[in-house]
Amino acid sequence: MTNNLDDELHRALRAVDPGEEFTLRVTERIAQQPMHSRYSVPPAYRWLSVAVLTGIVLAALIAHDQRLRHEQQGLEARRQLIEALRVTGEKLDLAYRVVNDDAHPASGENSGA
Amino acid sequence: MRALLRKLRFAFLPLATMLATAMAAAPDLQLKMPSFEALAEKASDSVSITLDSTLLGIAAGFLDSTKPEDAAAKDLISGLKGIYVKSYTFDKGYVYPSADVDMLKKQLSQPLWQRLVGVRSHKEQANVDIYMAVGEGRANGLVIIASEPREFTIVNIVGSIDLQKLHSLEGKFGIPRLQLEEKR
Repeated sequence: MTNNLDDELHRALRAVDPGEEFTLRVTERIAQQPMHSRYSVPPAYRWLSVAVLTGIVLAALIAHDQRLRHEQQGLEARRQLIEALRVTGEKLDLAYRVVNDDAHPASGENSGA
Repeated sequence: MRALLRKLRFAFLPLATMLATAMAAAPDLQLKMPSFEALAEKASDSVSITLDSTLLGIAAGFLDSTKPEDAAAKDLISGLKGIYVKSYTFDKGYVYPSADVDMLKKQLSQPLWQRLVGVRSHKEQANVDIYMAVGEGRANGLVIIASEPREFTIVNIVGSIDLQKLHSLEGKFGIPRLQLEEKR
């Protein structure tokens, strides 16, 4: 009785060649699957890389904006400085003219500002 | 080591106190400018310039040292701590802000400030007062109060001023030629 059962099990579980067709079907299916699905990055890392990239782009934009602002501030300060020097020179010239006119009232000359 | 540190601390304290006292006693050559609101309202053109040491430093960074006029301006402002200008131009006559000017002149008292020039011209109908703060043998502050029939201007320059350097800028940036040497 036991021997019969053993024999039947051996027969049922014996190695059977699936055949050429089955092997072909499996290899074709593997070839059709895209690479990234086989070696895909975990979703958490994907989000992390997107966040890092966004951060780099944002930092570059902020740095560019700050550089522009600094440049605008510098050019405005330069413009104000030149205007201040112009006004100062003009008023010193006026003082000189007035002093000169008082010293030589008859000359009537203009120092030409 | 601790004893040394304690000694240093005791030596440092009076030094710090002296420094703080000196800083507190250092004269403030920046005038408290009135707002001149009434003038600003009636002016056809007004200029208000406030350049403190930080802004002067920034402006200096934007002056090209390879250009002679920029280099001269850079040299001129190297010793300055601030430039403050208020200037108003009018289409017609204006009311001279006596109260504001009196308030300004109160700040220009001796011995810190000395009036270099005080001229009244009937021909030009202009009044110009120039004050200078002199300390340690050099000019540390300059104030110009100028009133003309259609213009009123206050200039306050704080810091080491070299008028010769300012003179060297004449003819540049629209600064008029003073022709001081030729006329002397």
